Parts: sequence; C-alpha cells; structure tokens
Amino acid sequence: MVWGRLGDTNLADAYMPSNSCSFARSCFNAALRGDYDYLDGFVENNSCDNRGKTYDMWTNYSKVPNIYLINTPHINTEKAHQFFYQEVVKFKEWLEHKFNKQISDDSLKNAIKVYNENRSLLKKIYDLKMKPPVISGVEFLEIALSSLIMPKSEHNELLNRFLREVENRSDLPKEGVRLLVAGSVMDNTELVRLIESVGASVVADDWCTGSRYFWNLVDSDGDPLRAIARRYLDKVPSSFMYQREERFKHVVELAKQFEVEGAIMFVLKYCDTHMFDAPLLRDELKAMGLPVLYLEWEHSMSGFAGLKTRIEAFVEMVGGVK
Amino acid sequence: MTAPERRLKSTSGFYKNYVKKFYEDAHRAKIEKQPVAWVSSTFPVETLQAMDIVPIWPENYASVCAARQVSVELCERAEREGFSRDLCSYSRCVLGSMFGYEKELPEGGLPKPDFLVATTAACDTHTKWFQVASRLFKVPLFILDTPYNIGGGDSSHLDPAHIEYYESQLEELFDFLEKQTGTMLDKYRLSQILALSDWTSRLWTEIQDLRKNVPSPMDARDAFSAVFFMLCIPGSQMAVDFYTQLRDELRQRVKDDVGVVENERYRLVWDNLPLWYNLKIFEYLNSLGAVVVAEVFSHIWTGNLDPSKPFESLARKYLPNLANSTVQRRIDIIHNLIQDFHANGVILPTNWGCRMMSIGETIVREAVRQRLGVPSLIIDVDSSDWRVAPDVQVKERFETFLETLRRPSET
Repeated sequence: MVWGRLGDTNLADAYMPSNSCSFARSCFNAALRGDYDYLDGFVENNSCDNRGKTYDMWTNYSKVPNIYLINTPHINTEKAHQFFYQEVVKFKEWLEHKFNKQISDDSLKNAIKVYNENRSLLKKIYDLKMKPPVISGVEFLEIALSSLIMPKSEHNELLNRFLREVENRSDLPKEGVRLLVAGSVMDNTELVRLIESVGASVVADDWCTGSRYFWNLVDSDGDPLRAIARRYLDKVPSSFMYQREERFKHVVELAKQFEVEGAIMFVLKYCDTHMFDAPLLRDELKAMGLPVLYLEWEHSMSGFAGLKTRIEAFVEMVGGVK
Repeated sequence: MTAPERRLKSTSGFYKNYVKKFYEDAHRAKIEKQPVAWVSSTFPVETLQAMDIVPIWPENYASVCAARQVSVELCERAEREGFSRDLCSYSRCVLGSMFGYEKELPEGGLPKPDFLVATTAACDTHTKWFQVASRLFKVPLFILDTPYNIGGGDSSHLDPAHIEYYESQLEELFDFLEKQTGTMLDKYRLSQILALSDWTSRLWTEIQDLRKNVPSPMDARDAFSAVFFMLCIPGSQMAVDFYTQLRDELRQRVKDDVGVVENERYRLVWDNLPLWYNLKIFEYLNSLGAVVVAEVFSHIWTGNLDPSKPFESLARKYLPNLANSTVQRRIDIIHNLIQDFHANGVILPTNWGCRMMSIGETIVREAVRQRLGVPSLIIDVDSSDWRVAPDVQVKERFETFLETLRRPSET
C-alpha cells in the first residue's frame, strides 16, 4: 500500500492545490521525492475525486512506469457487481500482460485462503481490546498497518505467534477511558499514541486501515475472481459507497460491542465523503448517549498542538463523567 | 460597465423572465401535486422531463443565492449544523437553506422534493450532499453510478462496457420513476423530449460558434446566465425559442461587426465556474480590453441525441462529461477552445470546496503552454463563498496576468 509521511508536502504543493486531500498530497509528495521509484506499477481507483485525480497526478508526474485505474462502482446492485467483475477481469489481464505471468484459479484460491486467514487473525487480535484490554490501540494499529505492507503469509505467521505469546502477557496496557475513533484512513500511529498518552484507550475504530480493512471475508466457494470482486462492493463500506447506513451500523455496533464511553471523529482534510457523513454519524453516536469530539486534521500534522489540547480536554471530560 | 449599446437584448432581464419564472412555476407545480425531483449535476435530466417530473437543480439555486448575496449566510447556517467549511459552497448553501433561515429565501426557497436523483458523474459532493438531503427530507434517492471515463475520450470514443452499464441503469431509473410517480413511461414522449434537447444543444453550439468571431459578440456573463437551459431544462420548447432568439441576435452582431468591447485586446478561455456572487468581474475584464470568448462550462453540456436510440444517446451525452473524465479530456477541450476561438490566455479558477475541478490544473497549464504557447492563470477562488478570496486580490491577479499577455508592440 502506498502511503505518505507526516510532515510538510512542499514538493506536492507545487502541483496539488491546498484544498486537495492531505493524505493524497502526502502520497504524491512521497512519489515526487522518489520514495516509490522502485515500483513497477501503481494501481488506483476512482473511489473518490481525490483518488481519481491522483491517477492523473501520478501518470503525469511520477516515475512509476505502469499505472492502472480500476473503475469502481459506488453502489452494490447486481448490475454494479457485473460491471465491477468485468473490470477486475480486465485488471487481471493487464497484470498478466504487463508482467508476463499467468494468474491461475488455483493461485487465486490460495491467495483468498491466505488473505482470509490474515483477516480472521486480525479480527481475533482486534477483539483483544474488549474489556479488559490485552493490547493497546497503538499496538493494534501497528499490527494492522504492518499487514498492509508485507507478504500476508509471513504476516500470518507473525500474528499466530503474537496470539500465542500475548496470552501470557505480564505488561498489560493500562485501561483508560474507552474510546472509538472514526474517520477515513489512518496510516500512522501518532494520533492514537497522543490519545492514549492522555488517559484514554482506543478500543474500536472505523478506519479503512483498521476494522473496515479486515472485517469481511472473501467467499471461498465458487469462482475466485468473482468472489474477490464481490467482497469489494459488499464489505463494510467506506463513505464513498452509497450504502452509507451500513457503515453507520458497523460503527454503532462496534461502540456497543467494545463498550466505548466516547468517540472521536477524525475527519481528514479535505475528504468530502467523510465531511458529509460526519454530522450524521455524530448524531447517531450522540443518540446512543456518547460524548463525541469532532476534529479535522491535516495529514501534515500542522495544527497538532491544537488537536492535543482538544483531545486532552475531551478525555478529561469523558473520564470525569465516569 | 459595458456600454448600453453593446449589451445583448435577448439576455436582458434573463433572470426575471426565465430563472425566477422557473422557480415560480416549480412552486406552483408542487402545490398542484405534480411530482418534483431534485436532480444533481450531470444527470440525464431528459428522463425526468419525459415523465413530466419537475426537475429542480439545487446547484443552480446555489448560484442564484450567490448572485443575490446570501450564499455566505446560508453556508454559515450549514456550518453551524456541523458541515465543514471546506465542503463545496453549493452544497453548504443549499443545506443551509434547508435548515431554516431567518430571512426570506430567494424565490421562496426550493420546493421540497418528492424524491431525488443523483449521479456519480459530477463529483463526490453531489451524491453525498443528496444523501444528506434524502435523509433530512425522508424521501428516496436514486443513484446512477456512472463509470469513470478513464480513456478521456469524447462521445464517440467511449468504452462499450461503460455504455452498457449506463444503459442498464437507465432501465432501473425508469422503474424507479414509474414507481415514484405511479405513471408509466411514454416512449413517444421520451423521443419528443430527446428531439427537443438535441435541438437545444445544436442551437447552443451555433451560439458558441458565433463567439469565434473577432471581435466576439458575447461575453461570459451572458453565457453563464444563458447556459441555464442547457443544464436545467434542455428538452423544452422554451429553451429552443430562447436560444433561437439569442442566436439570431448574435448573427446580426457578427454581421454588423459589433463586439463586446470596442477594442478587443485579449481573448480568454475560462475554465471551471464563475464567481456567481460577482459576475461583474467579467465587465471589469472588459474594461481592460479582455473578453472571455469561451467558457469550458459552456462546452460540456451539449450532446447529440438520437430519439431512435434513447438510452445509448443519453449515455454518450453524459458519460464523457469532463467532470467524469481523466484530465486528458479537459486538456483536449481547452486546447480546442484556444485554437477555435483564437484565444491568447486561459483562466483556471480553483473552487475551494471542489477537488474534482481544482486538482489537475497544473497539468492543464503545462500542456497548454507546451502545445500552444498559451499562458494560463491559476487563481484560488470559490464560486459562491466570497470569504475565500477578496475581490481586490482577484482583480490584481487578473491585471498582472493580462500584462503578461500583452503583445511586444504594446509594451
């Protein structure tokens, strides 16, 4: 997975306007800096405007030789599934052609098995944050993020080992105010570390790099490519998908299941789809009786000090109620 | 100010005669129980017209609120409900009008929709904004999922799979519309509407073509008003009548060699949206000898419609819209406009709440400079939220840019 780095995006700022997604800008900045010069290819989709435009930016300015955009529906009707399946077939053929390799059904089935195992293991580890938590929010995020950037089979081995060892853990994390965090993408641990440093525990999340990444499995029966394609449209959706209520439902269920005492919404600047959803999701969480803190953050972490003050005050407030 | 004798007669009183009337008629239709739908940008509005559903374009209403100088107050109203100031000002403005406003809303506000229709073709904003509206009004929303035009081709260079997917959804759309209205689609009526829309489109193209003349007989201010029919009610006799009148007036002007300004020094292409709250800025440009001879916005809503192939034609009309395409399409459109309209500069305004139009402007600027040697100005503004850029600053940027366009003989 391509991600950025915290800090300024001076290189990208010359090409991308300051009102563009700060995560996309950070990734593009990394591309301009040469961090991704080793890549043979880059695959993007049109899930949101920023990502569709990222395809243009990378195609025009990065050194990555092969760039592909998978046309992605924003709905999950049967017609959308049919269309998306064709798109995934096209992508498979592109891969085979570009890299002179055949992708067999058997290898796809095997990949599904390995990936599903990874998702199930991540889910098991995720549940360790139920009351009383055995791991911290930072630890979990580190584990989830590492899954995005290493071979899944190796990651599975590490996760299995972790699960064996964690049972006898003596240095249990200190349980603080139990919080849920909601938002789009979280590719670093800084914010969670900050929250947990002021007396809270991040026990549940709604990030595409967190729970939404591994929550649903690929159906292991039938045509493997169809099954892979189907999961993308049917999984707990990101805010770009039309079936938004399912994401809200997921968040509400997490809040209950993990017995959270409050929620922080991290709206990444300038993520339109989340900014539109945020007031409605906030209302749903408030209707459950949860205190909610709404924060907008720049991926560059400019304004970090202000965030810290507000998070501290919020955690103190929720803790005080307790 | 444009000299009185240079102002167009057809567009004089346009707002009162057409836009205001449109909203009055819509309110009346609502009272008379005719179905009313809100429709997003880049949606095949002809489908609604064919079902005698009143199509309401909230986007147009936002521009009305901006022109009437109330958009910022309405944006602030939505911001108080938790909608970020970084969101599209169109959407904030209309949401603000829905949340209630202490003063009287322009044109009495928008009629409440019986249902909403939106497409992914324009941008994320439209589908998300309409989702919010759907939830607040408790009325259904139909989403037309438009595949992204990755190839960046025009209507004759589209992926057949995209057309097929689009067409199949139009069938679902009519099922939805039939269910909502309780009436069946009359295919003859659909072909009538498509024929009218096609005619409207041809007339609009003729109007644009007349602007290629040096000096140009029409400026952006008039174009941004007159484009109303292309967007909101293309398949209507009113649109055909108005555009016929406008075309004839422009023909006469060209014949008489009457331009927007007496001494036309700079011919500009304008990308993206205007500053709806300050359309006078175009007159300011005129005062400097500059005329916007082509707006990208005036060149993305046309499309031939063949009534014998209704669904395919609609797909070919709406799929390649530049909002739904990779940057190549935008470059091609601007490239052609510069050449065909003999332009010597391009204005690329960003729009604060709009990722879709703001990202990629540097690619356009470089492509245009490399291919044609024509300079562009990227300027940070917003279509309806004047807090983003003070007028003075905008004017200064224009002046400096025009300086760079001066021919050596003029310096």
